[in-house]
Amino acid sequence: MASADCSAERKRYVYEAPVQDLIDELGKMPGIGPKSAQRIAFHLLKLPAQDALKLSHAIARAKELVRFCSRCFNVSAHDVCHLCADSRRDDGVLCVVEEPRDVVAIEKTQEFRGRYHVLQGCLNPIEGIGPEQLRVSELLARLEPENVTEVILSTNPNIEGEATAMYLGRLLRPLGITVTRIASGLPVGGDLEYADELTLGRALEHRRALD
Amino acid sequence: MVLRSISIEDFRNHASTALEFDRGLTVVSGDNGEGKTNLLEAIGWVATLASFRGATTDTMINVASDSAVIRVMIEVGGREQTIEAQLNRRGRNRILVNKQPLRKTRDLLGTIRVTVFSPDDLSLVKGGPGERRRFLDETLSSLHLRHHADRADLDRVLRQRNTVLKQAAGRRGGDIDATLDVWDTKMVQVAERIATDREHLVECLSPVVEEVYRSLVEDSTRVQMNYRRSWTGELTAVLAEVRDEDIKRRVTTVGPHRDDLEIVLNGFASRTHASQGEQRTIALALRLASQRVITTTIGDEPIVLLDDVFSELDEQRTRALMDQLPAVQTILTTATGSIPEGVLSSLHYRVSNGLVEPDEAGRSA
Ligand SMILES: [Zn+2]
Repeated sequence: MASADCSAERKRYVYEAPVQDLIDELGKMPGIGPKSAQRIAFHLLKLPAQDALKLSHAIARAKELVRFCSRCFNVSAHDVCHLCADSRRDDGVLCVVEEPRDVVAIEKTQEFRGRYHVLQGCLNPIEGIGPEQLRVSELLARLEPENVTEVILSTNPNIEGEATAMYLGRLLRPLGITVTRIASGLPVGGDLEYADELTLGRALEHRRALD
Repeated sequence: MVLRSISIEDFRNHASTALEFDRGLTVVSGDNGEGKTNLLEAIGWVATLASFRGATTDTMINVASDSAVIRVMIEVGGREQTIEAQLNRRGRNRILVNKQPLRKTRDLLGTIRVTVFSPDDLSLVKGGPGERRRFLDETLSSLHLRHHADRADLDRVLRQRNTVLKQAAGRRGGDIDATLDVWDTKMVQVAERIATDREHLVECLSPVVEEVYRSLVEDSTRVQMNYRRSWTGELTAVLAEVRDEDIKRRVTTVGPHRDDLEIVLNGFASRTHASQGEQRTIALALRLASQRVITTTIGDEPIVLLDDVFSELDEQRTRALMDQLPAVQTILTTATGSIPEGVLSSLHYRVSNGLVEPDEAGRSA
């Protein structure tokens, strides 16, 4: 009982308004709980004034200069991002991803020379994200003018990513477009015995004929 | 596999407790509420990543602390292995095996296997279908690691689907139907597999349950078990049929989360027609049968955790239970002074107020 009273008291205690505002704003960031928000807030308060200003300046500048590409919705410093502007890339193939960081991941492979489309999320009703919250209509609008013949669905291999891929597949296939899904399987250069059971099970399920 | 030792910190009422174990039987005695079940719960947690009492992580961590630690040493094939689990109030739990952090906590599953017997087991027979589904799922998770992931996937898909059903606010429409189609397909993939796995398990458990039941009561009672799906035919078609109903009620009305395990005793439903004594015996038979099936399939005996079961059983059933348990290692808790006669323990501890000490006097001959 004593400790329960204690925690109730702790909740009633509120920091000075500017400190609490900072904690509240940080707490809105993805993956940052109230405790981390507090820790970051007090870390920021301990920083030399110029370092704190550098951070706030970086945020303001990024917000001012960076926007989303009007074609693919990747982050961009211009109206059209450098990937969409690059005339050497193949227009016919579109790789659909959830987030800008996925574009970076696929670019690193140097295996893909087509264009991208960033959905800015995946179907996730619990988080309030349905098709209207994603850049789906913008994707459909690109198909004809850009003469897209194949769409590679590269959403994450989790439940929401799979559901999003399935949803898009059902929209795209009737339009006569080749729809493919990236494979999921074993890490290259690893040993079978160290792969986790789910990945290995899935790799078996999606096995292919040897060429 | 043998459990060698455990030490727990800030776990429920245990600030810091360390115990050593041996093969055979270890008895932990103490009055109710002193913390003996908490010890079994901690062992169960490192085996299944969940509390066998269905408690949340938060309730298992001591109120004065933000995290609890469970450290166990096990012996597998003559080699010692340490497992350390950190349960955190905020953020993810962490698992270290031989001091190396695991990337995913679920990679720990299967390392330690336990069968738990507790007085609450009566609800397996008397309680709602959820209790029986949990029993089947726990047994399946011990048999196939995939089942644990399937269950988690089903829960996730159901949460997403039910959210869409609520968002529909009683009406059907283009986007609602298109998204429901997707969640239905995801649900069917995992639901069919879960229901089929449970059916196979019931088929293989049923004769074992009957055999164990008969040896516990020393007669020839007929015990049958049937898995009852909440749907018939293709789930895809059924989900389409009940969509209007689902949208109206704002929940998914069919699927493995609505199935039941029917246990029939001499032709009558045990849930409604069996006596309390018969129900207790069925619950015991279910646990023993699950233990036996896991042992035969895996080839390694789970550790048996008996939580205060003797208080609920008469002398004959207690003796029959101990005879039925050829376990390599059993850890049992009992209220003070109620260790059944003839039970041979290799170690004996007493718990009082979250403190544990060896009890030489309590060791029975
Ligand atoms: Zn672009």
